[in-house]
Amino acid sequence: MSYKLPDEKDLEAMVGIVGKNYATNNKAITASYLAKSVMGLESQIPDIVVRPKYTEEIRKILIYCTAEKIAVSPVSAGLSGGFACPTLKPGGVLLDLSRMDRIIEIDTENRYAIVEPGVTNGALWAYMHKNYPEWAPPIADGAPPAATVVGDAIDRGFSLYTSSVGPQGDNFMCAEVVFPNGDVIRTGSWALPTAKPFYKYGIGPDMWSFLMGSQGALGVFTKVAVKIYPHPKFKTVVAWGMSNPYDMQNLTLEIGKQEFGIAHNTVMVQGGNYPLVMARWPKDKVPHDYEFYKEIGVSPWWMNWECWAQTQEELDYVVNRINSMAEDFKKNRAKDGESMKPWELHPKQIASRMKKPNKIAVPYSFWEAGFLFITWYTPWNECAHFAEMYNAAMEKYGFPPVMWIASIDRCRQAICMPIICFDSTKQEDFEKVQMMNQETTEYGLKQGWLNYRPDPFIHIQAYYQSGMYWKYLRTIKKLLDPNMIMHPGRLALP
Amino acid sequence: MAKTGMERLEELKPQIYKCIHCKACRFAYSGEPDKEGIGEYTGKQGTVLYEGMVDACPAGIEYGWEAFWNAGKIWIARSILEGDLEFSEEVRDVIMPCITCGQCSAQCENKIPTVEIIEALRAACVEAGIPMIEKHDLVKRLVKDLNNPYGGKADERFKWAKEAGLEKYIDNKNAKVGYFVGCTASYRQTNIAIATCKIFEQLGIDFTLVGDERCCGSPFFRVGAIDIAQELMNANLASFKDLDMVFFSCAGCYKTITNDYPKWMTDPNMPFKTMHAFELVSRLISLPNEKIALETSIKELKSKSDARSKKELERLEKQYEIIKDIKGAIKFKPNKELKGKVVTYHDPCHLGRHMALEMEQETIENSKNLMLDMRKINKMIEDWYEVPRIVLRQLEKDVGIKFKEMYRIKLNSFCCGAGGGVRAGYPEFSLRTSSLRLDEANAVGADIVTTECPFCWRNLYDSNDLYNHGLKVYGLLEMIDSFNLLEVKENPTLEGILKLK
Repeated sequence: MSYKLPDEKDLEAMVGIVGKNYATNNKAITASYLAKSVMGLESQIPDIVVRPKYTEEIRKILIYCTAEKIAVSPVSAGLSGGFACPTLKPGGVLLDLSRMDRIIEIDTENRYAIVEPGVTNGALWAYMHKNYPEWAPPIADGAPPAATVVGDAIDRGFSLYTSSVGPQGDNFMCAEVVFPNGDVIRTGSWALPTAKPFYKYGIGPDMWSFLMGSQGALGVFTKVAVKIYPHPKFKTVVAWGMSNPYDMQNLTLEIGKQEFGIAHNTVMVQGGNYPLVMARWPKDKVPHDYEFYKEIGVSPWWMNWECWAQTQEELDYVVNRINSMAEDFKKNRAKDGESMKPWELHPKQIASRMKKPNKIAVPYSFWEAGFLFITWYTPWNECAHFAEMYNAAMEKYGFPPVMWIASIDRCRQAICMPIICFDSTKQEDFEKVQMMNQETTEYGLKQGWLNYRPDPFIHIQAYYQSGMYWKYLRTIKKLLDPNMIMHPGRLALP
Repeated sequence: MAKTGMERLEELKPQIYKCIHCKACRFAYSGEPDKEGIGEYTGKQGTVLYEGMVDACPAGIEYGWEAFWNAGKIWIARSILEGDLEFSEEVRDVIMPCITCGQCSAQCENKIPTVEIIEALRAACVEAGIPMIEKHDLVKRLVKDLNNPYGGKADERFKWAKEAGLEKYIDNKNAKVGYFVGCTASYRQTNIAIATCKIFEQLGIDFTLVGDERCCGSPFFRVGAIDIAQELMNANLASFKDLDMVFFSCAGCYKTITNDYPKWMTDPNMPFKTMHAFELVSRLISLPNEKIALETSIKELKSKSDARSKKELERLEKQYEIIKDIKGAIKFKPNKELKGKVVTYHDPCHLGRHMALEMEQETIENSKNLMLDMRKINKMIEDWYEVPRIVLRQLEKDVGIKFKEMYRIKLNSFCCGAGGGVRAGYPEFSLRTSSLRLDEANAVGADIVTTECPFCWRNLYDSNDLYNHGLKVYGLLEMIDSFNLLEVKENPTLEGILKLK
């Protein structure tokens, strides 16, 4: 597929649509949109950056770029997790949607918020905290405050309610999307002009699901209705430590499988291993030996259950029930029951874990200079196997074995995230990361595990192994985007 | 031979590559989403919700493009280092309108020294032959000719001292303590220079104004004119080298000489100690109570025998040994005019955040286990920000003012808009930023805004005037002197003062 390299005439066209203050090919500005970290290493400098404010402007931009065969990459505002959707080759136009930052409506009866793509986690959280303190949006847990609600959704991300209510994509009811031909569609019940965004599957069949995970490769989201949930005052964190990932996996599954009651009260269920604590500090300024972490009360593996309840009585019940199930598991079914113990968290540690949005995932660059989240979905009862395999790979390639795992939908799925802390000043480290990614991808796909946020170069193997699905995905892409202008290369499309 | 900007940029490469473009650096309180605030306030520059995290990068707010927020600039630096981008006027025009307030650095979980990176980037840009913006070039020429950026005659630097009857302190050969006045207080805010000298006088300190003093070089370190900055640095070091302690009233000069000189000096050992004058005032307020508190703690710990208590006792005894014989105590006199006035305090970036972050970087550098030392760093920073607040709380107690903090304070303080060459280069943006800060002061109902930097004073004063904020702007020491508030109970001694640092 060949694309036109945008020239001055194309910039003029963009200026004509959004005004001279919001379109540029200034080389310093275009370079500032780079980000080779967190979710991908393949970011390229775009040729033009445009900052539209309205859906109509996006329509015109897409119609123009389709006609001219100019590649377009949309970025919601923040980063979609460290710019998961940066411009790839061949560059083209980057749509920075940060000016579309309106919180349009909060409906506490029907329990949704309508926001534009530039609304950040920090902004929506502050707005709700001030105006609707009894409600909270499902913002990403671990994504920094500048990440956006929409970015997390279309990335199929993870939110503070995901362990309880399911994948982040399921938290969205309806969306307004502009397709590359300039058509604006509204999904779910919104397809009916008079309807509120109250029913995700709308008039059916549903188009939302096939836009999920598209990462801007099928169209541009301009508005979404996202569920909001109660934000009760009674909250705490229960944590248990153990010596191995299997005990972590199996205890958590026993609790998740309750489905009702405590499984719904545990909004965030996440754990990991002690290097997850260690690698947040500079490599040469922190002990590497486990003995130190043992002394400060950190187990080799652990699991946290963040519990929300409407009353203290309900919260006490949840905490006691988790603890009694853990005691029973330790006594009767654990691989290494001796080493299992409750982790008595300091109130400050509890407060820190419950803070939303937070910067908890940010400091892994402190270890050396750069890091990458290589993220996978596995069935929950295979996450320990994944952790063992991946930790071994990280150690083989000379990286600290940093593993974070969380439950989705009451342990139906695990989101497994090895954090590769490396020195991005060194080309050889980049190469090692890619080699390890390649090797583990081959292994993971054989196990039937899914790589989340596919790397356009390495994770393309997943599409190769899903031939028929990929064929139809390409067919749909061709239908919506005949000149293939939207985020070319992403999802191996075209 | 001194370093070039490009060498400094290369040196900072491991820091630059730590940036993951998370953009937390755009907010004040990026780690405090639930922070209770004062709600929404509509001021002269629009409406701001002072709750949780708030946008706080002045250049980002003004220009909007990613390149003007800090993270964008860090990725520009990386593009330069990787050869993906060359220096040009386009690059210059993006990296210059940054106030280098350091808000971004304070928010960074990877502890990236963003201000140093931006300054090195600017220096490398100048070295690459990209012309400086016209106004910066003018300032550079003025300093070359006159040793100050205001166009004042070099031999009139201490004209204010002569007029205020302070001539005897000019080149006072007996003094071991110097007062580095700085260009702003010498040629513009002479009220601050006079107030500082008078306070020294009241405290019985024998000090000198060094006749050969010239611009500290701050504007040139900030905008990348490193050659002239280093010339000024070497000249000042030669003029002040025989002193034991040098005091400052300007946050910029204090930061530059204390933090920047050692980074650019061939021998990084400073020949004299440095201290801001308000720090001395603050210590003289707190010393008597510090001594009593230490004596009480030591007495309590002596009755305990566990290892932890013994270790703590040892630490406190060392601390007590240092301060026990230091003389000096002050308080303030009541004042009818000030009684009941709501006074707020603007933390100058150079004095607050830059000094605090330097302490943090130094401790990180020397730490063997940062996980354990981080608490120490946080305590050190909190103590540093308490220094002016000790004075303000004493004023509240003795004078009857009502001290009220703005929403964004200490490490999260919003900039006055003057630094980084922005007041000279981009005056309208600079004053709008200052007005945004004064909106925040209006939002808490302040009558008076105090600060401890003549450059902040100037910008706040000008935007107060331009945008009709209806506030009074004072330097903290200026207010103490203007209302004759100081009451000296015991004069400090030179030996004692030297022990304070």
